[in-house]
Formats: sequence, structure tokens, C-alpha cells
Amino acid sequence: MNGYGGKILRVNLSKGEIKKEPTPADTARDFIGGRGFGIYFLLKEVPKGADPLGPENKLIISSGPISGMMVPGGGKCDWTTKAPLTGGYASSSMGGHFTAEMRYAGLDSIILEGISPKPVFLFIDDDKIELRDASDLWGKDTFTVEKQFKDKLGEEYQVAVIGVGGENLVPYACINHDYGRQAGRGGVGAVMGSKKVKAIVVHGTKSIPVADKEGYRKAGMALYKACKDAEGLKDWTRYGTTIVVSWCDEVGALPTRNFSAGSFEDGKNLYGPVMREKIVITDKGCFGCPSPCGKYSRTKKYGTYVEGPEYETIGLMGSNLGIDDIEAVAQANLLCDNLGIDTISAGNAIGWAMECFEKGIFTKKDTDGLELKFGNVDATFKLIEKIARREGFGALLAEGVKRASQKVGKGSEKFAIQVKGMEQSAYATHNATAMLLAYMTCDVGAHHNRSWAITYDLQVGRDLVTPEKVARVIWLQNFRPMFDVLGGCRLQWVELNIDRELYVPALEAITGIHRSWQDLEKVGERIWNLTRLFWARENEGFDRAWDMPSPRFYQDAPKSGATRGQITKLEDVNRLLDMYYEQRGWTLQGLPKTETIEALGLKAMVA
Amino acid sequence: MVGGRAEVEVETGRTVRQTLESLGIVPEVVALVVVNEVQQSKDYVIQEGDVIRVLAVIGGG
Amino acid sequence: MRLYVDNSKCSGCNACRVACSLNLFGENNPKKAALVIEPKFPEPGVYNVRVCTQCGDCAKVCPTEAIKQDSQGVYYVDFAECDLCEACVPECPEQVMFVRSKLADTAWKCDLCGDCVSVCGTSALWIAEREAVTA
Repeated sequence: MNGYGGKILRVNLSKGEIKKEPTPADTARDFIGGRGFGIYFLLKEVPKGADPLGPENKLIISSGPISGMMVPGGGKCDWTTKAPLTGGYASSSMGGHFTAEMRYAGLDSIILEGISPKPVFLFIDDDKIELRDASDLWGKDTFTVEKQFKDKLGEEYQVAVIGVGGENLVPYACINHDYGRQAGRGGVGAVMGSKKVKAIVVHGTKSIPVADKEGYRKAGMALYKACKDAEGLKDWTRYGTTIVVSWCDEVGALPTRNFSAGSFEDGKNLYGPVMREKIVITDKGCFGCPSPCGKYSRTKKYGTYVEGPEYETIGLMGSNLGIDDIEAVAQANLLCDNLGIDTISAGNAIGWAMECFEKGIFTKKDTDGLELKFGNVDATFKLIEKIARREGFGALLAEGVKRASQKVGKGSEKFAIQVKGMEQSAYATHNATAMLLAYMTCDVGAHHNRSWAITYDLQVGRDLVTPEKVARVIWLQNFRPMFDVLGGCRLQWVELNIDRELYVPALEAITGIHRSWQDLEKVGERIWNLTRLFWARENEGFDRAWDMPSPRFYQDAPKSGATRGQITKLEDVNRLLDMYYEQRGWTLQGLPKTETIEALGLKAMVA
Repeated sequence: MVGGRAEVEVETGRTVRQTLESLGIVPEVVALVVVNEVQQSKDYVIQEGDVIRVLAVIGGG
Repeated sequence: MRLYVDNSKCSGCNACRVACSLNLFGENNPKKAALVIEPKFPEPGVYNVRVCTQCGDCAKVCPTEAIKQDSQGVYYVDFAECDLCEACVPECPEQVMFVRSKLADTAWKCDLCGDCVSVCGTSALWIAEREAVTA
């Protein structure tokens, strides 16, 4: 099949059975790849009510038609599963080189099923596919394991590996690859750990067939030219995602001290140019990317080598914890990477714990003697270890802020900054209504990747509550995740502002199927509704309450910074949600209406 | 781009913020201000001979 | 003329190698590319790239004269003439003479097509005149 590796790999870990099936042509036509394949297999094959950490859950890893191709950003794979963190839909996008190598091994998806009786790693070398003993790898950190494989097998082999966090089933455990790329959120690492799979090692030497070689070459070259000619390429490459730290601080979006404010008085020590000068060695990129955002760094203070920190980690482990030392943030980043836990959820959870401590909800008796005040770097490092190992006070934080705050009570639920059980990522939304709505309605929980709308807020009026704002959020949600479906990265469009029409001839030449962006957004809309139906199916009484933001964003106006005194009204939160449901064709309780399901051609899938 | 041109000459003695506003650019959408290759805030006062580059936040995340 | 690389600018993205295999073999398969990227991670955290310098040492030893020069003086492999004897491989000072019989029934090398330069986003690669060799 043009544009595809051609096979779905099924690994039944309970029985130790490995099977390959041809990738169904109609699935490829309708769901394209990546995240599309993810929701297709998740809905079809994971039974209602499955325990996310039990044998019925599946971990579905999918590449897409541009993965491993001469197309900018063709370096992402999607990891879809039922989320241990939220009990809902998890889809995490991982960069690096894994997705390309999967395709060269002829694989479009890898589906991990059941539970292995013993720790194993999945070894894929073209058609030689085996489950091998991982008992001597279990307990080791991710960098050590990846290096071990690379030293033994060679650099062509790509490795995805869980750390102690995944082994301990921490609900926000992640999966690591290429010394610094992750499938980060929702607990995909815990699912892999529950299946006792320590790592997946992949190597392939096959070629990927395309429908129109000349057309593909021409379209690919045009895309690379557009990226190289982009005005912002040099600055973006220089700073990566850290380019927005100063801007977020300036506009009150930088989470500070558990999102109590959006500006940090010591924020300038965390800005991109400061980080670049202090610690950055190499601009490290994913497969096929002309605008490498990875800032591979070395700290002098700790001797750390780490890819990062990214904007998110600078926000959640830096300003959110009152820490202004970029080297400390880099070290915290490395600890999380090696132990295999999500820096966003961990930073958010530690920030919550610090606020609890400062309010007297916890004392040193509760926190294993740790002085959990904002700014305490040493306590942060210790907590990261404890969380990954679920030891002592770390065991509470490991559950995520929603469960932890429900257990602790004493009003701490009011400042647990989460939606649907997922910790909010690094944009403070006291007064940015489109971004707030984006977090409320994101399909995995409070994550920013679907609809990044905060510039739009600033452009048109940050506190406006209008149908246009809602329409903008919906458009971004239908459009941006399509890059995850294609098996690639959205940042070339997002950050370099290249003309997205340039992707259309590339996709057609690769797959042989013409799809306009309207067609692609339709697929996006269908996937969006399917993931919503998955939430409803898996959570009894799923309704609009699940879309509500943390009360911080309609109750606690910041006392300092750019958004001092600014807050969104609760009635506006509800107005935004009402308009959103209406425009999506959902009921006032947030469920897709029957006519919407039918109009999108989804009736058969949800029967 | 300002009025279709990627490069404009600006007056000295004003802040970057004031200059942006006078050019019809909402300062809040500018992510990065670099003066003579060093990052500055929007309150930087422009001097004779300064080369100022601004980068808009187009998208993110 | 030859290919040059600035290692400090390489991001390890491999776009060059896909473009290369597409040019040489019409395939999307970086393992059939004629330049090598060596990641040095976790330490020291850089990429080392090896490219053909058009020195011609390979051509000197090829018993079937499969390694030819085009009108610009660029050394390339005539796939039809190669019999996989591998005499060229150890001669290459940059180790960018490739034989992988499972992947192709010919040796291959860089033919200076320039596609790698076109897709390199960080401008780590460029083509310029060969500097005079003194040693």
C-alpha cells in the first residue's frame, strides 16, 4: 500500500504470541494513521470498563504516512491507550527517530496486548520479531538502558524505554526515546509498565513505497524550501520552545507558584537567551526536521546532560515552583527523564504540594521532613525520586493532583490545577478565554497541544467571550492534531508559518489519495467526536462537569504580575462551554448528539 | 512585515513598545525583541544605529 | 567541487540521508544513503557527520572501473559495472564507500547531487570547491 509500512504488529504478551496483519486499506483511507489508527483500534478492541493497568487495555503505537519520509517533521508516532491518569482517552505524541524506524521495519502500528508474566523487551529487526528477557534491565534508568542497547546493537537501532516510574505504574509515567524525547502524558508509561514491557527496540532496512515518486520529491523539496526561507527559522532554531518564556511572563501566562499568578518576578533568569548562553550545546532534531527545537544542554552545576528543558518544563518545574535557576530546572528535567515521569504533571503536582505546605495543610511530619516551600530546589529533586518510586510522601503526589487533593481535602481541591484528572500544562489562564476553553475541552485533559489559542486571545481581546473565539478553538482542535494523524509534527506550520497547502501534494503523492485540508479537518472532526464518545463510554455520568476548569481561574485573581486583578467570571466559563457544545453539535451536557454522529458517518463505529 | 515591508527605519528615543504601537503592531503579539543580537524587553529605548528584530508569536505549543 | 559539513550545526535529523537514498536508488531508505551521521549521546551530545570529499582514492583501486568521473570531475559509481568486490571500502579515508549486499547489489557513494544540501534546515551542509590537498 503506497505510503504505508503495510503491516500491523500484534503482540499478545500474556501468551507470548506475535502476529502481523496487513494494514486494512479502508482503515488507512478513513483514519490515515497515527492518532487516527489509535482511536480506531482503541474503540474497536478495548472493551468498555477495561482497567487501564489490566490485561484488557492495549497500547497502540502508530506511525503515519509522512513518518520517515522526505517531508519536514516526519518524525512523530502516536501512543494511544486508556489512560491510567484519567480513566479516559490518552494519546501522546513522541518525536525522535522511532516512528521512522518502525516504518522501515514495515510497521504502521504496534499493538501491545495482555500482560507478560515476566519483564520483557520487544525486539524488532525487520522480520525477526521476538520478546526477550528484560529482568536485568528492570529497575534501570532510561538513559542507561538506551545506551546499553545502542552500544550493543549500533546506532541504527531505535529504543523506546520506560523508567522506574513506569515500572511502578505511576499514573503519569512516560516513555523515553533518543535521550530526551517522550511519549509524555496520561500515563502511557504506566500502561507499558503494567504489561511488563521495559523497552521496544526497532530496526528496519525496508523502503517505503510511494504512489508518485516525482511528485513526492517535488512536493517534499518545496516544503523544505519553504521552511528554509521562513523568516523565523533562525530564531526558532536558536531557542526552540524557550522562545516564548519571556513572552508568557510578559503577558501573564507563565504559571507561577502553582498558577497563583502568570508572571514571575525572577522570570528573566529562565528566559531563552539566558538558557542558551548558560547550558545549550546542540540543536537536536527529530527525524526529517529542518527546525530542530531540541536544546541539548549541559549544566555546569550538576554536570547534567539533558535535552531541554522545554518551555513546559521551565514553566512547571521553574516558575511554577518559584525556582529561577535554569540549571536546577535542567537537573529536575533529567531526573524526570531518567526515572520516566512526565515533567508537566510532576511539576504541577509538586506546585500543588508546595501551596499546601505554605498554607499549613501539610507539615514536615507529612512530607518526610521536606521543607516544601516554593523555591526549594533540593526538596524538588527529592520529591521527583519519591514520586517515581511511590515512596513516602511521593506516593500521594504520584496519584496526580485530582486524586491527591480529594484524599487530602481541606480546600486543596480548589487549587488542584487540572481538568478531567490531568494536570494543566504551562499556560496560566486567569484571563485568556480561548486558551481556558482549550484546556477545558482538550480531549486528553488539560493539555495545550490541540488548541494553542493564547496569541489569538491577545490579538482580539483576552477577556472576550464570543462565538468567534469558540469557533477558533474548535478549528484548531480539528486541524492541529491532524499532524499527529499524518505521523508528523505541527511545529513547522505553527512556528515557521509555512503555507499548509504545501502538505497536500506531498500527502497525495505519497499515498495516492487526494485530500484537501477540508478533507483532513473533517477527519479531525470525526476523530474528535470519537474520542469524546470514548470518554462518555468509559466514565459513568460523564457530563459538562468534566469540562470545568480549576476554580483558581474563576476565583483567584493574581495579586501580582501582568494579570494582576484579572479573572474570568464563572458565568463566562459556562457561556463559553454552552457556545462550544452548540457549535460542536453536542448536547448541553457535552455529549455528541445523534444527528451529529450520523452526519459525521460515525454511526457504525459507535454502534 | 509592516505595510508589506520586512524592514523599516524607526525613530530613536522611543521605546520598542511605543514604536510597535505607532506601526500598528499590537505589542502583546511580539514574542521576542532582539537589539544588536541581545534580547531586550519592549521598554528598551531605541538608540542611534540600533538594529532591532522582532518576532511575532504566530502560534505555539 | 565537494560536499562540506559543519558538525556543530547538525541536528541529527537525517533529512539529508532520505534525500540521498531517494536520489541514488529512488527509495525512502536512509540506510542506502552515502553520508553518515554519528550521534554521540548522552555525552558529549553532538553529531559527527562523514561525507565524501571527492578524493578519488576509491576509483584508484576499483578493478572493474565501476567508479567513474562525470564531466564535472565528480566520482560516482556506475551500478552496472560494480561486482561487489569491496576493494574500495577500506580505501576511503572517510569510510563513506558503502557495501551492504542485503540492501543493494552494488557499492554506492556520494554523487554530489546536492539534494542533501537542499533539505538541510540548519545549513550544516554545502558544496564548494575542493581545497588544495597538500599532504
